[in-house]
Amino acid sequence: MRLIGVDVGGTFTDLVYADTEAADTGVKIGVHKISTTPDDPSRGVVEGLTALCDKYGIPRETIDTVFHGTTIATNAILEHDGAVTGMITTGGYRDILHIGRHQRPQHYSIMQDIPWQDRPLVKRRHRKTVKERLVPPRGDVLEPLDEQGVRDAVRELKDAGVEAIAICFLFSYLDPAHEARAMEIVREEYPDCFATTSSSVSPQFREFERFTTTAMNAFVGPKVRNYVTKLESDIEKSGFKADLRIMASNGGVATPAMVAERPVLTLLSGPAAGVIGGDWAGGLSGKRNLITFDIGGTSADIGIVTDGGFGEATARDTWIAGFPVMVPMIDVHTIGAGGGSIAFVDQAGAFKVGPRSAGAVPGPAAYGRGGTRATVTDANVVLGRLDRGNFLGGSMSLDEVAARRVIGELAKQLGLSDLEAAEGVITVINANMANAIRSRTVQKGIDPRNYALVAFGGAGPLHGAEVADMLGIPETIIPPHPGITSAVGLLISDLRYDAIRTSFQISGAADLARINADFAAMAKELGERFTADGIDLSKVTFERRGDLRYVGQGYELRVPFPDGPIDAAALAKAFDAFHEVHKREYGHHFADSAIEIVNLRLVGAASAAKIAKPAVGAAKSLAAAKVRDGIGTFRVGTKLSDYPTTFYRRDLLPVGERIAGPAIVLQMDSTTVVPPQHSFEADTAGNLIIRKSDG
Amino acid sequence: MTPAPLRQPVPKPDRIDPITTSVIQGALENIAIEMGYKLMRMSYSSIIRESEDFGAALVDAEGRGLAESAQSTPLQSGPIPGYIRGILKTLADRGEAIRPGDVIMHNDAYSGASHGPDVAFVVPVFVGTRLIAFAATTAHHLDIGALSPGSCGIVEAIDAYAEGLQFKAIKVYDRGVRNDAVWQIVRDNIRASDLVVGDMDAQVAAARIGAERLVELIERYGVETFDMACGALMDHAERLMRQAIAKLPDGVYRAETAIDGYLDSPDANKKELPIVVTITKKDDSLIVDLTGTAPQVPDRPINMPLEGTADIAIWLTIRSVLLDTEIHGHIPVNAGLIRPITIIAPKGCLANPTFPAPTIARFCPGNQLADTVMKALSAAMPNNVSAGIGNLKVIAFSGLKDETHWVHMEIFEGSYGGRQGKDGMDAVDTLYANTRNNPIEDIETHLPLRVLRYELREDVTGAGKWRGGLGSVREFTFLSDGGASVEGEGHRYRPWGFLGGSEGAPAKLDLETGGTTRALPSKVPHMNIAKDGRFICYGPAGGGYGNPLERDPADVVDDVLDGVISVETALRDYGVVISAKGVVDVAATEKARASR
Repeated sequence: MRLIGVDVGGTFTDLVYADTEAADTGVKIGVHKISTTPDDPSRGVVEGLTALCDKYGIPRETIDTVFHGTTIATNAILEHDGAVTGMITTGGYRDILHIGRHQRPQHYSIMQDIPWQDRPLVKRRHRKTVKERLVPPRGDVLEPLDEQGVRDAVRELKDAGVEAIAICFLFSYLDPAHEARAMEIVREEYPDCFATTSSSVSPQFREFERFTTTAMNAFVGPKVRNYVTKLESDIEKSGFKADLRIMASNGGVATPAMVAERPVLTLLSGPAAGVIGGDWAGGLSGKRNLITFDIGGTSADIGIVTDGGFGEATARDTWIAGFPVMVPMIDVHTIGAGGGSIAFVDQAGAFKVGPRSAGAVPGPAAYGRGGTRATVTDANVVLGRLDRGNFLGGSMSLDEVAARRVIGELAKQLGLSDLEAAEGVITVINANMANAIRSRTVQKGIDPRNYALVAFGGAGPLHGAEVADMLGIPETIIPPHPGITSAVGLLISDLRYDAIRTSFQISGAADLARINADFAAMAKELGERFTADGIDLSKVTFERRGDLRYVGQGYELRVPFPDGPIDAAALAKAFDAFHEVHKREYGHHFADSAIEIVNLRLVGAASAAKIAKPAVGAAKSLAAAKVRDGIGTFRVGTKLSDYPTTFYRRDLLPVGERIAGPAIVLQMDSTTVVPPQHSFEADTAGNLIIRKSDG
Repeated sequence: MTPAPLRQPVPKPDRIDPITTSVIQGALENIAIEMGYKLMRMSYSSIIRESEDFGAALVDAEGRGLAESAQSTPLQSGPIPGYIRGILKTLADRGEAIRPGDVIMHNDAYSGASHGPDVAFVVPVFVGTRLIAFAATTAHHLDIGALSPGSCGIVEAIDAYAEGLQFKAIKVYDRGVRNDAVWQIVRDNIRASDLVVGDMDAQVAAARIGAERLVELIERYGVETFDMACGALMDHAERLMRQAIAKLPDGVYRAETAIDGYLDSPDANKKELPIVVTITKKDDSLIVDLTGTAPQVPDRPINMPLEGTADIAIWLTIRSVLLDTEIHGHIPVNAGLIRPITIIAPKGCLANPTFPAPTIARFCPGNQLADTVMKALSAAMPNNVSAGIGNLKVIAFSGLKDETHWVHMEIFEGSYGGRQGKDGMDAVDTLYANTRNNPIEDIETHLPLRVLRYELREDVTGAGKWRGGLGSVREFTFLSDGGASVEGEGHRYRPWGFLGGSEGAPAKLDLETGGTTRALPSKVPHMNIAKDGRFICYGPAGGGYGNPLERDPADVVDDVLDGVISVETALRDYGVVISAKGVVDVAATEKARASR
């Protein structure tokens, strides 16, 4: 299989080509990078695809699949630039989207904005109510659907120029019939309109969060649908016969048809691809427990891979632009810490780094684009960790004088030397990042000492080993191409769909027939989806899960459910698993408390051909790899000292030879820092492995 | 093998460097956040896990706050240092020592606690034999054994004893050994005890985790460095606050508002009670004087503990106006922030009651005090305040099922007044409260209640160049026989308008039973309500900011198109003439505005 991954970022579009079987063609992995075309990202994608094929002499029509990571939906939300959206909702509840959970985002602020009030996805004038009402526990009809009311509402919305409609009824997760009927009426009255129902987008309880997710789906719908349709046809027009697959937030890919219907599934796909790519890199070196750590210019993404599997975020922990989103999502945590994070002394004299970033423009002072604030990148330049001659393989120069100037100003304010201040910037940002990792591991009962840290993204290898050291993580892995790990992640992804049912069953009185019926219905739903995508169902694997909590609690924990018919014994197994997970996550469990099954979930994945292990070149030598000797300033424990430090070229390093730090390893798309009391080696999988030295 | 460093570090410094200080600050916050996170997720009752009415904080050995959890509600984490000081004093008076392994329970409103239902669990942090700090959690419990079900709406408690159990620095674990007798007493004397004791267990677990983490942190840096860092962090917070205060013009700023009290009481001393705040600003300090505030109500629980409620209301408001997160970014919360502020409250007034005056229903009066502080600050910082806020209300719903109580407390939102350049926030918790509502789909699934309406309250607003926030309308119907009590404010007085803005609108509460509807006052003791009984709760609308005639006609049209105000209101309040098609009639509007 010949695969191409295309990851569209804010500045660059990264492309990776892989041939999964033909070892004799000479090309196994190809890489290409072009500038993103923000006005129409599909143009850059098509240009990149053709350029990549031309560069490596690959006939376009031989490409089997193009995997694509897109931020179209994400940007539409972040920039609040989506469709004029309307909503049809249950009478009496017009303002669920506006009132939210009646909580302010900030405790201590009079002048704050509330995203859902100040930047509404659906203006109140476009929120129409109709008579209908279901009631729990089974979704019995308290008030039948007023079909004429729906028809009138659609006509009014159409006249008002609405381009997308979200249909959101209370308790629709118990029975989608009213929403489905309203959908039919929308289709009859306004067939061109992008329409969506809350029970199809996210059939689970909590009305504000579900309605918001549905409104978001409608808000980004027309834009994403147009983009996907155009991209598919442009790729075909350029002579490709490849299937297009689009990355979703759940860590899998989806077909263009699926994404056109549920664009909300792609909202947080960028970080998801990073976790998959980091998992792949760690797997090359045989590591199954990984913390993926992707540091870019403005933010760092942290993911956890345990025993080769990644976690899923709980429904209540996923947010974008201040709005809650209830879609299946890889558990990845983003913090505002990156190469562009600004270091400053606040008005009362405290030293801080981030979360504000200098961004791409003006960027760090060292970029020479007019940046005047000291950033993490400037600190790395002053410390000599970023090499002026080798930054991005020499494709971009660094203004060392400007970096020294801004760090010098910071040092003066702090009453420290320039080197102390620069190292202080690194220590503080590293401590921030270590705290973030701690919150995803130690605080959830995961001992990071049993994990390896995979550090990638442009800045990950600069900080990875020192952050690992703060957490007692014994080993840091730097993937072969740290800068394009996310694009590689695209090539590892399976076609992956989720189904969910809110259940509310209590241990001791659980309705086994209903649980089995729910799992069967979800299997049917997903089966139809895969069949529609032309997938042979025998290639699909299904995994069952449940979201459980102790009766009375408000937060669920996810546990696996056994395959086959669910009987009392199978259920007991799931409950045991819940006690265990609760104990691990919170350090405590309540053995005598009743357990409530809140949601049942089914995940289907259709395995696809994968990128092969990268080829490792012929034997090289340490002498050839050595660039020069220098001096580095490092903090060991709490003490700051200067050390003789050697600079190496990564591509010339000998394989399997352990090399003492401190050292700086240079390569095309990244720079790796090996601190004192650490050693490193280039392993046979193409990774750099950094380890804490004994003693 | 690592080569030896070229340059050796200097020997132990006599002052702490800003880098280490910053790292320790991050670590302290990280611990507090973990405590809060775990408590919220483990807890059983919706008042903690949905409404987020809980707190988590780290406090030093002298009772000075070091860090608080970001998720918790300000009225919970803020008082924790006061709880610790209360515990220290109570134990010292009894001659009891604090030892490793102790877990101390405390809820004494006359010794630092915010009020009885907010029970703290405190774990001392020792390094070796030295007591260095405390890790503590607080949470609002569903029931604390008062005279009627629930822990809100106990509006007829006549003294502290009628409010429920009083825990005065009780060791529920003594050197690691569980005091089973105390736990049994608790279990036997409160309703819904499975939930409450489960929540208490969660609090203990979360506080212990905080203590463990803090020991690790202190051991990493050493006690000396840790102490120096904490000192530096408090000094920093103090400087931040002093600098912000110094920017205000020197002067005396006075404001007065009033609370409903008991509107249906024949006793004049129980209703329409003034709250008076006089702020004196000189150089970089503030004195907040509550002289003029009504005397305490000796036999009704709307008195505010000075330490635990009144002080928090004052600090929170000053901080939100002077160091607004939107403008100043994240500010570390510790004892330094409050050093520049002195509070004076005459003994025996509403905001400094004497034992055993009851305090359990102090929630809404305290928020009115916060609003009064903002009103006093409005003259000094007109661009950083909102016009008057709409206050809150809690209804405690309850019933019996199979000889077991169910209790559900729901907080009903208020709204903010207009602000410079922005309309007020609609239908939110205000000032020192920042809880969450419960999803309708959760309530109806788990309780014999139905929520038949939850929307914005239309055409009831405080007009202004920047109009006040909108209130909400929420209806609750009983599906089986039960009962309820009500604890609220804001039925009598309108939120204040500012700089020419109109006053907002008061809240109201109707109860529909057996085909008749009656208006209720803002406080109602427990009453039985039969199946089909229905509450209709109308939230207050915040005050307007600035002259309504200066409001951009485009904003007025938007409000009309959104159904928030009527065409008639647009003309009456704003002098804006809007055509049937929803377009401003410019000429008619100019004429209408000129004639005012």
